[in-house]
Amino acid sequence: MKYADMAVPSRALHLWRYTPWARIHPSKVDVVPEATGVRFNVVEGGELVGGAPRIVNAEDIGRVFLSELGGTATTFETNGTSDVVHLRAVASGHVAVGHLHLSLKHDVAVMLHLSGEADWTGLHITGEVGANVRAGFGLVNELASNGKFLHCEDWSIARDANLELAGLSIGGFRCKSDIRSRFTGSGAALTQAISVHGVEQRHVDHHIEIHHDVPHTDSSLNIHAACDDQSHAIATGLLTIARQANHCDAGQVFKNLLLSEKARAESIPELEVLADEVSAAHGAASAPVDRNQLHYLMSRGLDEETAVALLIEGFMQSGFSSLEHQALVDEMRTRLTVHLECELKR
Amino acid sequence: MGEEILRIEDLHVSVDETPILNGMSLTINRGEIHVIMGRNGAGKSTLASVIMGHPAYEITKGSIHYMGANIEEMSVFERARAGMFLSFQYPAVIPGVQVGTFLKKSVQSVRDEPLKGREFRKELNAAMKTLEMQKSVLSRYVNDGFSGGEKKRLEMLQMLLLQPTLALLDETDSGLDIDALRIVAKGINSVAPQAGSLIITHYQRLLDHVQPHHVHVMIDGVIVESGGPELALKLEEQGYEWLEAPKEA
Repeated sequence: MKYADMAVPSRALHLWRYTPWARIHPSKVDVVPEATGVRFNVVEGGELVGGAPRIVNAEDIGRVFLSELGGTATTFETNGTSDVVHLRAVASGHVAVGHLHLSLKHDVAVMLHLSGEADWTGLHITGEVGANVRAGFGLVNELASNGKFLHCEDWSIARDANLELAGLSIGGFRCKSDIRSRFTGSGAALTQAISVHGVEQRHVDHHIEIHHDVPHTDSSLNIHAACDDQSHAIATGLLTIARQANHCDAGQVFKNLLLSEKARAESIPELEVLADEVSAAHGAASAPVDRNQLHYLMSRGLDEETAVALLIEGFMQSGFSSLEHQALVDEMRTRLTVHLECELKR
Repeated sequence: MGEEILRIEDLHVSVDETPILNGMSLTINRGEIHVIMGRNGAGKSTLASVIMGHPAYEITKGSIHYMGANIEEMSVFERARAGMFLSFQYPAVIPGVQVGTFLKKSVQSVRDEPLKGREFRKELNAAMKTLEMQKSVLSRYVNDGFSGGEKKRLEMLQMLLLQPTLALLDETDSGLDIDALRIVAKGINSVAPQAGSLIITHYQRLLDHVQPHHVHVMIDGVIVESGGPELALKLEEQGYEWLEAPKEA
């Protein structure tokens, strides 16, 4: 389908309810602007090759739009020589777009650091995790604080594979992420953890879909959003378990830390379970800073500002507790600590 | 007698307008270990919290002087930086914050000077050795998934690192097995000579390892009886009933 033939999606769809298409589009909704490419490069381990598989049969407006904008397309394929790979993506200019395809056929943890001053950044990540592979992928969004960001991810997870996805959202002014994962073989597992820091009027919207189409697959999703000032964090989840997909175990947990009276957070987990013999659960909680935790830290000499900063860091870091890939966890911690130290000095 | 560390005079404290302490007086000098015993609800933990400056408690009458100064207006962190330490009965769980990070920030705040990494590590290792703690605890989250004994050891580790002038220990011995109790007592004994210590406990058994100078019994928010270590033994044998009867009877 072409973008020009697509209708602007209705806000009745929860995917577009909180961040309508017009608010994340770079200009007017009927325009496909000129775009420059996001610059990808390898900081450590592996190499990138030009080109990425074409996105076919995409019916989602975001994916179609990103495809038509063009930009850079690049592929990272594991060759088994690096356990940890660091990639960098830099977005500059008015509209910057990139497509990164990850073909993960060996055990690996891939970290992508996204930064840049582009007014609008579009990023499409597609990934395939091969059979029996233990892979991790972490995206750190460190875009400039005044840019818009549209981000789509599509993952397929093969038999007996184990994928851990980590996301740290600390950049961009208005961000819309739509991350979809699909199991293609039984015995596979997905652990997904996202932490968001909302400051000033930052608007961060995550839509996460996990599709259990085959039996004996497990998934776990944890989203932690710490919202300060007038920021707004949204997380909508869609977990589907197909009729034939018995013996799946899936859970979604959304937690929000509200740091000011004007900060807002919406958490909407959604389950579509058609199989009978499954375990599926979801939960959501929003709360201000815990007074007992604060008192405890202050009783150890930390002033209120430092204590609250440490609690925010802990809250965001604990979103990654479910991950086992130590390289991913360490990277997220480091980036988070640096970010919060900068925020504290701001 | 050592210098005066803490002086509490006629202290009355309420929570949500409910009186908890009703005229409590106590003086602790440097090097002294005071023990407060009493039934549940007597106001023991409230006393420790009020001394540490918990905002939920309101002082309605009386005063608390620490190192000669009235501390009513001091916030919690200022009291900590001034050398006051409370070992919590139920320490807060703080997911996501690593013990190592927390300890470093705490020590840095209280000492108010940049820590030299190597020296701090040396100090930390020594304290952990005293308390027979594994280094792996440093990468765990503060009290998250800790057993009762591990929590109390972490409290002791903080106390050893912070070297307080006033150590308040609120039921630090509760729920500990014999080995953990011995280790916790080691922590208390290493700090006590340089500090004033106030131990709140229900049990005599801690006092087999820590020798108190004064034992007080608290009932309904006031101290009703004071004595030496023998008072704790008497309470262990006879309970609190004899103290509740009119003194002249």
